[in-house]
Amino acid sequence: MGHSPVTTNPLIIMMINMTVVFIVLVVLMYLIKLIHIIDPTKVKETPEQPADDEDLPLVPVKSSEAAESPPPVEEGIPPEIIAAISAAVTAYGFAGQVKAVRILNHEGTPWRASARFNTLARK
Amino acid sequence: MEALNAFSVSLQAVWNDSGFSAFTAGNGIMILVGLLLLYMAFVKEFEPLLLGPIAFGCILANFPNTGFFGEEMNVMKAINFGITNEIFPPLIFLGIGAMTDFSPLLARPSTLLLGAAAQIGVFVALGGAMLVGFDVHEAAAIGIIGGADGPTSIYLSTKLAPHLLGAIAVAAYSYMSLVPLIQPPIMKLMTTQAEREIVMKELRPVTKFERVVFPIVATIFISLLLPPIAALLGCLMLGNLFRESGVTDRLSDTAQNSLINIVTIFLGTGTGMTMSAEGFLRADTLLIIALGLVAFMGGTAGGLVFGKIMCKVTGGAINPLIGSAGVSAVPMAARVSQLVGMKSKPGNYLLMHAMGPNVAGVIGTAVAAGTMLAMLK
Repeated sequence: MGHSPVTTNPLIIMMINMTVVFIVLVVLMYLIKLIHIIDPTKVKETPEQPADDEDLPLVPVKSSEAAESPPPVEEGIPPEIIAAISAAVTAYGFAGQVKAVRILNHEGTPWRASARFNTLARK
Repeated sequence: MEALNAFSVSLQAVWNDSGFSAFTAGNGIMILVGLLLLYMAFVKEFEPLLLGPIAFGCILANFPNTGFFGEEMNVMKAINFGITNEIFPPLIFLGIGAMTDFSPLLARPSTLLLGAAAQIGVFVALGGAMLVGFDVHEAAAIGIIGGADGPTSIYLSTKLAPHLLGAIAVAAYSYMSLVPLIQPPIMKLMTTQAEREIVMKELRPVTKFERVVFPIVATIFISLLLPPIAALLGCLMLGNLFRESGVTDRLSDTAQNSLINIVTIFLGTGTGMTMSAEGFLRADTLLIIALGLVAFMGGTAGGLVFGKIMCKVTGGAINPLIGSAGVSAVPMAARVSQLVGMKSKPGNYLLMHAMGPNVAGVIGTAVAAGTMLAMLK
C-alpha cells in the first residue's frame, strides 16, 4: 500500500478501534437525546386529543344510525386473522387503535378501493 | 491449394484469438464456482440481487482474451472503475439510507451501544487474520466482513487490499445471506429461556423533527471526526433525508428503487469481475472465507453479550436477543431476533426493537472502517 500504519499490533488496533466506535456511538446517543429535548414539535403531539374531544359538542347518535353502522369485524374473517392484525399493528406502536377490520373491495370496483386508500392515506 | 492454405491460416488465427486457446484449468474451476454461486443466488435465493451479478461477473472474468481490462475503455473497465475508485458503495448507501427508518433507533438511542458492541467480531477476525499471516491492511479488510455490511466491506477492501476484493465480497454477501442459519444457534447458546421471553416496552413515537434533524447532525459529527468515511455516511444520511423530509419523494423513490438497482447491478458484476482464477484460486481465499465466519460469529456474540449486560443494567427491560441485530445485515438480522423471540414466546414482537441496533450496526461498521482507514492508511 505504501503507507505506514500507526501500529500493527492487533490488540492495540482492536482496543483503539472499539474505543473510537463506542465513543462515536455514545456521542451520537446523546445527540439523539439532545434532539429530542430541543424538539419544538413534541409538546403539541400528546395532550391535544383529549382537549379537542372535550371541546366538541355532544351530538346524540340516532339508534337507527347505530344499528345501520357496520360491525367492527366483518363476517367471514377468522378470529386468528384479527389477532394477527391487531398484534402487528400493536408491534408497530399503535396499540388499541384497530377500530374495524373489513375486507376491502370484495364487492366494489377498483376505483372505489383507490378512493378509499387515498382517503386513508390523507388521514 | 492457396485457398486451402489461407483457410487454414485463418482458422489458426481464429483459434489463437479465441478464449479456448488460452483457457486454463483455473478458468474452468472459476466458471464452475460462478455457476455454483448462480445456483445459490437464483435457486436457493441467497442474496440473489447481489450474488447473481457477482456470480455472472465471475464467469465473465474467466474468459481469456476478452480484453476487459486492456488499454481501451469498455463497459467492463468502466464498471471496474466505479469499484476501484469507491464510487458504487456510497451510491448503494444512498439507496439504503432512503430505505432505512431510523425511528426505532431514535426512540431508544441506547441501542446504539449494541451496534457498537457487535463490531467486536471485526477485530477478532482482524487478529485472527494477522495470526495466520495476512498483513495488517489485508487483515483489516478481512475483519470488516464481521460488520455484515457488503458496501462497507467493498469500500474498505478497495482502499486497503484491492487484490482480496473478490474473496471478501463473496464471503461478506454469502454470510449475510446465511444470517438465519448462523445466528440462531449462537443466540440460543448465549441466552437463557427467561431472557429470550422478555417482552420489551413499546417504543415512544418519534417526531418528524427528530427524523429530519438526526441525519444532518450525524453527518456533521461523524464526517468531521472521520473524514475517510464522509462519502459513505454522507450518502447514507442524504438518502435518509430524502425519505424523511417529506418534500423530496421523487428523489427518495429514485434512490431506493432505480438508482440502487442500477448500482447493484454494476457493483455486483464488477465485484464478480475481480474473481479471476489467478487472483481467487489461492489458499488465502479459503482462509478469508473461514475468517469471515469467525468475524460474523464474533459480532453476533459481542452484540448478545452487550445485550445481556444491558438487560441486567436496565433490570430486565431489554431482551438480549436484539443484541445480535447489531451486526448490520439490515433487516435480516433484526428478523432473526424477531423469529427467535417469537419461538421462545409466541406474541413477543422484537422486530421494531431489533431495528434500532440493526441500523446502529450500519453506522458502527462504517465508523470502524473509518477508524481503520485513519489508522492504517
